[in-house]
Amino acid sequence: MTRPAFVFPVLVTLILVSLVTGVASLGEDGWWLVFVSRLPRTLAALLAGAGLAVAGVIMQMLARNPFVEPATAGTGQAAGLGLVAVTLLAPGAAIWLKMSAATTAALIGTAGFVALVRRLPTGDPLLVPLTGIVYGGILGAATTFLAYERDLLQYIDIWMSGEFSGVMLGRYEILWIGGALTVLAYLYADRFTIAGFGEETTRSLGLGYGQVVALGLVIVSVITAVTVVTVGMIPFVGLVVPNLVARMRGENLRETLPYVAVSGGVLVLACDIIGRVIRYPFEVPVGTVLGVLGAALFLWILHRGPRRG
Amino acid sequence: MKRTLAAVTALTLFAAPALAETTIETATGPVTISETPATTAVLDMASLDMLDALGIEGVTATSNTYLERLAPYAGDLGTLFEPDYEALNALSPDLIVAGGRSTEAVPQLEKLAPTVDMTMWGDDLLDQTRARLAAFGALYGKEAEAAALTESLDAEIAATQAAVEGKGNALILMTNGGKVSAYGAGGRFGWIHTEIGLPEVIEGLEDTSHGESVSFEFIRETNPDWILVLDRVAAIGGEGESAEATLDNPLVAETTAAQKGQIVYLNAGDIYVAGGGITSVLNTLEIIQTAFGASS
Repeated sequence: MTRPAFVFPVLVTLILVSLVTGVASLGEDGWWLVFVSRLPRTLAALLAGAGLAVAGVIMQMLARNPFVEPATAGTGQAAGLGLVAVTLLAPGAAIWLKMSAATTAALIGTAGFVALVRRLPTGDPLLVPLTGIVYGGILGAATTFLAYERDLLQYIDIWMSGEFSGVMLGRYEILWIGGALTVLAYLYADRFTIAGFGEETTRSLGLGYGQVVALGLVIVSVITAVTVVTVGMIPFVGLVVPNLVARMRGENLRETLPYVAVSGGVLVLACDIIGRVIRYPFEVPVGTVLGVLGAALFLWILHRGPRRG
Repeated sequence: MKRTLAAVTALTLFAAPALAETTIETATGPVTISETPATTAVLDMASLDMLDALGIEGVTATSNTYLERLAPYAGDLGTLFEPDYEALNALSPDLIVAGGRSTEAVPQLEKLAPTVDMTMWGDDLLDQTRARLAAFGALYGKEAEAAALTESLDAEIAATQAAVEGKGNALILMTNGGKVSAYGAGGRFGWIHTEIGLPEVIEGLEDTSHGESVSFEFIRETNPDWILVLDRVAAIGGEGESAEATLDNPLVAETTAAQKGQIVYLNAGDIYVAGGGITSVLNTLEIIQTAFGASS
C-alpha cells in the first residue's frame, strides 16, 4: 500500500536536478541565478503539474469517468476561446482581465460538458471521453473560426502549446492561485469522493450535490485558466496521473490527492527537464515532450485494463 | 485538327506583334506573361512592398497588409494565408502575385487568373530581393526604377557593413508574448548576419521558420554585444506583452548588449511580414546602421 510513496524521493531528486539544469553556468552568482531563474521555473512546473493533475481527478469524479481531463473535455478549449474573445474585444487587456475571461469561459464550457455527460446513457465508459473530444473539438473549432476571421490563428498557438522557457521570477506567480486551489480541493476531498458515486448517493448522504459540483467546476476551470494564461495548455497530465495513482491507491481522494498532486508536479517537472536537456542549449516545449511521454503512458494504462475499485 | 492548328497559328502570327511577352523569374522557375498587367492582385506583402516602391498602379491586396505604409492597397482579397477566391474571381485581375504564406494556394489561384509565386526564403534573401525587383521591373516596364532601387540597396548594404564593422557580435531574437526564440545565419533573418557581416554570438542555430526556442538564461550565457529584436505579436497586429517588457528582466540586464544600451528593436512588420521587400530591407538596414553608427 505504500508503493506510491516513492514519488516523494523522486520529487526531491527532480527539484535538485532542475535547480542545476539550465543554460547559464552556476558560478559566483549561482545563488542569485537559482533564485531568479531556476527556482521559479521549478515551482512553475510543479504548480502547473499538480494543479492539472488535481483538476483532472476532480473532473473524473464529476463526469464519473476515468478517461476525461481538462485538455480533452472542453475546459482548455473554452479557456482558449475566452482568451481569443477578450483579445478581440479588448486588445492589450490586463492580465487579470484575460484570466477572468479565460476562467469564465472555462467555467461555462466545463459546466456544459458535465451537463452533457449526465444525459448520456450509462454503460459504455468510452462514451464520455468521446463526447468530451467531440465537445472540445466544437469549442476548438469556434476558437479557430474567430481567430481565422481576424488572422489570429498563429496568435492562439502561444497559449495552446505549453512551455516554460519564458518563466522566471515575476512571470509565473499567477500559478500560485492554482496551488491554493489544489489545497482547497484537498480540504473538500471527501465530498468529491462521494460525488464520484453519483447524485443519488451524494444526496442520500445529506450532501448538496449541486454545491459539490459547482465547487469542482470552479476549481477545475480556474486551475486550467491560470495554466493556459501563464504557460499554455499542457496535455495528458490530468488524464495519466490520476489513473496511475488510482491504480496503486484506489479512489479515496482524501488519501490519494497528495499523491495525485505530487505525481502531476513530478511528471511535468521531469518533462520540462527533458525539454531543457534534449536539444541543449535550446528548448523543446514541455507540451511536446508530454505529448510523446503522456501518450505512451496512456496506452500503457489502457493496455493494463480497468483500474481497481 | 489541322484547321484548329492553322487557326491557332494564324491567330498567333496575327497577334504576335501586339503582345509584349515578358518572361520573368519566379520562385517556381521562369513564367511568361503575355502583357503588362493593368490590374494586379497581391497576396504577398514582400511583393506588395516592391510594387509599391516601383510605383505600380492598379494593385489590390489582402484585407490586412499589416504595414501602415501599405495599408492603402488593402482590399477584400482574404488573408495572407487564405485568399478569398470569390472576391478574386469578381476582380478578375490580369495577374495574381502570390508567395510566402499564400504559396499553397497557388494551384487554386491559377484557375482564376495568371499567377506567379514570388516567395522569398532562405539565407540568400537579398539576392532574391534583387531578382524579384528585376522581374517586376521587366514585367511592368519599370526597369530603370528597379535598377535604381537595386543600386540604393547595394549602397545601403555597404554603408551598414561599414557601420557594424568591429562593433562586436549579435543575437537575433523574436519575442512572442513572454516567450523568446533565436535565429541564426542560416535562418529566415540570416541575411542580417551574412550580408552585412555581423558576427553571430553563437553558431548552429537551425533554419526553422519560428527560430529556436530559448530561455533568458541562454541569452545571458551567450552574452551578445548586440541584441536585434523583433516583436512577432506587434508584427501580426496583436497586442500583448511587448518585446521591451519581455526583455526587461534581470537575466537579460546582465548582457553586454543591455548594459551598453545595444538592444535594437527592428520594425517587426518590415522584417517578419514583408521580409525581403525592398523598402522593408532598406528600412531594416537603416535602423541597424543608425543604431551601430551611434555607438563608438
